[in-house]
Amino acid sequence: MTATTRTRFWTAATRIFELSFGEMLWSRRTIFMALVVGGPVLLAIAARFAAVNGSVRMRVNGVGLGSDDVFGMMIWLLFLRFSVPVLGVFYGTALIADEVEDKTITYLFTRPIPRAAVLIGKYLAYLACTTLVVLPAVTIIYFALVPLAQVPASFGQLLEDLGILALGLAVYGALFALMGASLKRPLITGLVFAFGWEQVALLVPGYLRQFTVVYHLQALFPHAMPSGRAVSLQAVFRDTSSPVTSVCWLLAMMGACLALAARAVERREYVLEQ
Amino acid sequence: MHEQAAVVVSRHLSKWYGQVSGLNDVSVAIPPGVTGLLGPNGAGKSTFMKLITGQLAPSAGSVRVLGEPIWGNPALYARIGFCPDQDAFYDRMTGLEWLDALVRLNGFAPDAARTAAMRALEAVELLDAAGKKIGAYSKGMRQRVKLAQAIVHDPELLILDEPLNGMDAIMRRKTIRMIRDWARAGKSVLVSSHILYEIESMTSNVLLINNGRILAEGNVHQIRDLIDEHPHTVFVRAEDPRALGRHLLAEDDVLSLRFEGGAVIVETARPDAFYTRLTRMAASGEAGVIEEVTSPDDNLQAVFKYLVKQ
Repeated sequence: MTATTRTRFWTAATRIFELSFGEMLWSRRTIFMALVVGGPVLLAIAARFAAVNGSVRMRVNGVGLGSDDVFGMMIWLLFLRFSVPVLGVFYGTALIADEVEDKTITYLFTRPIPRAAVLIGKYLAYLACTTLVVLPAVTIIYFALVPLAQVPASFGQLLEDLGILALGLAVYGALFALMGASLKRPLITGLVFAFGWEQVALLVPGYLRQFTVVYHLQALFPHAMPSGRAVSLQAVFRDTSSPVTSVCWLLAMMGACLALAARAVERREYVLEQ
Repeated sequence: MHEQAAVVVSRHLSKWYGQVSGLNDVSVAIPPGVTGLLGPNGAGKSTFMKLITGQLAPSAGSVRVLGEPIWGNPALYARIGFCPDQDAFYDRMTGLEWLDALVRLNGFAPDAARTAAMRALEAVELLDAAGKKIGAYSKGMRQRVKLAQAIVHDPELLILDEPLNGMDAIMRRKTIRMIRDWARAGKSVLVSSHILYEIESMTSNVLLINNGRILAEGNVHQIRDLIDEHPHTVFVRAEDPRALGRHLLAEDDVLSLRFEGGAVIVETARPDAFYTRLTRMAASGEAGVIEEVTSPDDNLQAVFKYLVKQ
């Protein structure tokens, strides 16, 4: 790819991003996203009220949980293990499929731009759309759960969490974009991958877990886990790769998936139903 | 037709969808100017259109557009404008926003894109509705904005798949005139339809397609007489169907007439005279507002059966 071709490609991808972002943000899928992300926010607000009233204190194995422990648990269980893969599946697999289903793909594929630029532009729109909803929601949860006095000490950790969530959305999005571009029933395959393969592979000793996204995300996760005293999440799963290795794996997965998805879109015929 | 001068050349072009054949061994050279692609639904028109617009890859054979292969060659779309048959849009966008966004994909700068979008909307007489959401457009307006996106970048070759569907009589006439004007301005147009009289009003150069094969190519007038022997059905949706029916029965070009919902279904033995009269009535408003004119596909199906037998 020459420098001029590269510039044209990214200009086209930017135009597609501009065209798709508003459409994606105001789609019915965003209501679904608001429900997925809004649940934990409501939960956090309820927990805050309970803490203020002193009525409930969460305990695990008899050990009382601090607010940042609860925050860490919510981020891990509700976001990284659930919301992020779910959003990745539902948005990622639909990047091209939605346009095909709505029969609007013709307008994009009959313009002088590479088809791959359409995919990349839509992928960027997905990323902007989901991070714009997920990251503020997590920030609200943080401020709902963590007392103001503890904010200066833990704010850096929040930023790390936000970075990991954005990376998770990027990698899952790319992976499911590849499924969407290559498979006939990507949604089912995506759900099986996220909630079948990823769960099972994580429990199997050996190298298989390296081929999951969640394994690498957990290596980056900074929070102490609520079993005993300050046992890190990494210790729960015993072996994790180093954060640097995991970031490299995740970026490589994302790059490879996007490249393969772009190739699939370039070569595939999309037959619109009459 | 010399292939070098042709705007579209296909050689032994075939397309299969699994076991189903969409197009079968089609070899044609479409000359510059206006060419009509005429055939009933399911004849292979849309498959042919999708192949020559690079949306589908040939299963066998080859297709070249403006001298270049089209599949996997997006740069060629800068020279082609395509109006698809499907009624699909980004409904939340306004007509102007949509055209502006699409023409920017052609590499237009923001100011040039806005100017081109306005010019295209003006050409299809949608300037007044430029700021209105496409979701709120009528069927005829949607057809027109679809046409506008095909011409917005001023292409050399226009490929129009059933562009007159859903338009009222007046807009049909204007669109036909517009297509003829484009041809006069040196553009080439390939337009598909299942209505002979529409095609005939734009060009005398036709390709007849049925069952995925080109049955004939050349001058439409040669088959005209044969076709006229067949009664032609026209579906006219109107504000006041009964008033329209009364007006229509005043002349002997109507064989029979019945009402269905808000429409009149007319059988005519002289479609040419009938369409001329209908257009005049729509323009004068003497029989109220005529909202939509369509011709059911079985007209042409019957004609093709007849032609194949010949």
